Amino acid sequence: MRRIFAVVLAAVIGCSTLFGQAKKPVIMVVPSDAWCVRNGYVQEFESYGQKEMVPDYNAALKNNAEIRLLISYMGDFMAKEEFPIQSLESVLKNIQNESRDVSMITSNESGAMIMESPVDELRRVAKPDIILDIDYQVKKKGPKKQVSFNLTAYDAYTSKIISGNTGVGSSANAPVEVLLEEAVLSFKDNFIRGLQNHFDDMFANGREVVVTLRRFDTADVTFEEEFDYQGESVELADLIDLWFSENTVQGRYSFNERTADVLKFEQVRIPLYGKNIAGKEVAIDTRGFVKPLVKMLKDEPYYIPVTVYQKGLGEVWLIIGEE
Amino acid sequence: MKKSLLHIVIALLVALPVSLFGQSKREIKSLMESFENYEVTTVKVAVDGTKFVKVWGYGKKVDDAIVQAKKNAVHASLFRGLPGMESAMATPPIFKDPNAFDNNKDYFIDFFLTGGEYIKYINVTTDGVPSGQDRRQVRGGYKVALYVQVMFDNLRDKMEADGLVNKLSTGF
Repeated sequence: MRRIFAVVLAAVIGCSTLFGQAKKPVIMVVPSDAWCVRNGYVQEFESYGQKEMVPDYNAALKNNAEIRLLISYMGDFMAKEEFPIQSLESVLKNIQNESRDVSMITSNESGAMIMESPVDELRRVAKPDIILDIDYQVKKKGPKKQVSFNLTAYDAYTSKIISGNTGVGSSANAPVEVLLEEAVLSFKDNFIRGLQNHFDDMFANGREVVVTLRRFDTADVTFEEEFDYQGESVELADLIDLWFSENTVQGRYSFNERTADVLKFEQVRIPLYGKNIAGKEVAIDTRGFVKPLVKMLKDEPYYIPVTVYQKGLGEVWLIIGEE
Repeated sequence: MKKSLLHIVIALLVALPVSLFGQSKREIKSLMESFENYEVTTVKVAVDGTKFVKVWGYGKKVDDAIVQAKKNAVHASLFRGLPGMESAMATPPIFKDPNAFDNNKDYFIDFFLTGGEYIKYINVTTDGVPSGQDRRQVRGGYKVALYVQVMFDNLRDKMEADGLVNKLSTGF
């Protein structure tokens, strides 16, 4: 009897852990554009006759010890929260290494090279779900120094600010490293509370994602094509809208863009858990959420081929017309 | 008639200052022990995992006020939050729910017993008995200020371990 009880208890605990694990968002600390420009870590190029500047993270991390230190401090306290952050430096290294490996690997027989589509190349680029955008300035007041800082955590896909922290550290005749550590310690708890609020909201109201539907120019149908729905002619865009209203958490989403070629659904609240093909309850991401929609479009009466392109946990593009 | 009128006037003169302008002894005692009645300020950014605050406590004797100030420091970290200052951001309380104390009353009554669990989470940095500006005689006792280092991260770990607060990674 006791053994049966133990087995049942173990099964219950096992199930609850299986269902209780949502996908952990990837967090990355990135120096802000303003900081990169101010410190000269930018690459300039001309686009359509205009000069544009993009941050050069590689140069920043190689040459600036302070920003490495800041990222390291933040990584340290996030690791204590059992939330290790993805290292920007190692991601940049991985991208470089992979590019080199892909270009060097050839087959033994024919010397053929590895095929890599532009999309695969894009996928290699770091895609964090939460970006911690950090900016700081060291100001001198006579022999004393003071650090002003600005840390903004935002959802990489909805661009919504999760937690914002700004402040000025104490004015002291101390090494910059000490002042930077003081700045991190000053905003740490407030910042963690901002993240906690974001996660609490996510567990209560679902994950907020973006779903964009586009069409290849070779597609036979547009989103204005009409189909029969319960005896009435209804545009494809309206049928997709109906699907969203029935499948989002409490019907919460906003239908922001609607043309014959593009449909954009933002602030889409998706459940954290769904069923896999075996009918088991599992944690889902945006791709998992749109699977039934893709199936609906591919099946009778629409027969529309769909390509799914995932841009991270929180954004997905469905491109109709080809697979 | 004149005598009884005089008695009434005397009784009123004795009772009025207490009821209108003062508080009863019981009221003063409960106010001194109340967690609603204390001031706390952040002194500076402390070392990792701790908070350095100046906190006030009331008590009939100085020692009672010191004990109450220590309790107040832990109480502020748990339920009220620590205010910011020029070079330190405000620290939100460990409990988000404003009713957390009432919802776990039995636990916290034990936790805040004099010499109880709460004492593990503070290091007092004031040497000896507070004096000067940090020690004031007030009606019914003393009001003293202590400079206290609260072991904030350890306190939060304790609340997480006892299942009263969720970890940041809970659910993932």
